[in-house]
Amino acid sequence: MNRRTTLLLAAEALAWWCALAALWLVLISTVDTLERVVGASVAGVAALAATAARRVVSAR
Amino acid sequence: MNGWILAATVALGTGLGTALWGVATGPLRRRVVAQNMSTALACPALLLLSQGYARPSYVDLALVLALLGPVGTLVFARLLADDLADDPPRAWGVTWVVAGFGAVVVGAVCAATGPSPEMVKLLVIGALLIGGNVLASRALSGGFPGAGRG
Repeated sequence: MNRRTTLLLAAEALAWWCALAALWLVLISTVDTLERVVGASVAGVAALAATAARRVVSAR
Repeated sequence: MNGWILAATVALGTGLGTALWGVATGPLRRRVVAQNMSTALACPALLLLSQGYARPSYVDLALVLALLGPVGTLVFARLLADDLADDPPRAWGVTWVVAGFGAVVVGAVCAATGPSPEMVKLLVIGALLIGGNVLASRALSGGFPGAGRG
């Protein structure tokens, strides 16, 4: 894995994180600090999983 | 009884009734299509009920159904790929009619809600519902060759 693919992967994970965090903010009813922290954390985990899953599928 | 509950009753009674009849009888190609349509009809009905009873929590149920319904159909499409390959179901008429019904219901509930995060949530549900069912119908009619063998 060279520098370029690492950057591309990081950009993809960041794009996933933005989309998933926005989805979380839309789907909750009351927006407060705790919800923001939880949303940012779970969006991070989901973004890593989505990036890894896409890598596995596109490598086939 | 208001208009929302009446519309939900009609959708559940005629639509889901017909879908259950289709699942219980006839050849395999008809059963898988009817199974796919049953979740696509129950989801808009839940949106109508949430509006009729003024219970926003029903919307979450519709979201889960819009997400898991097409996923369930994809499982059937994969497991039954060999049986469906000889005689694939072609149900684009029904698919688009049900998708149009979903779009009308989401539009009406959005209009009643007004601009707010809840409206964005409804639009997400509508996109998942219509996109998921068109995708599931395509998978059932053999639109993804090779996907069954993984």
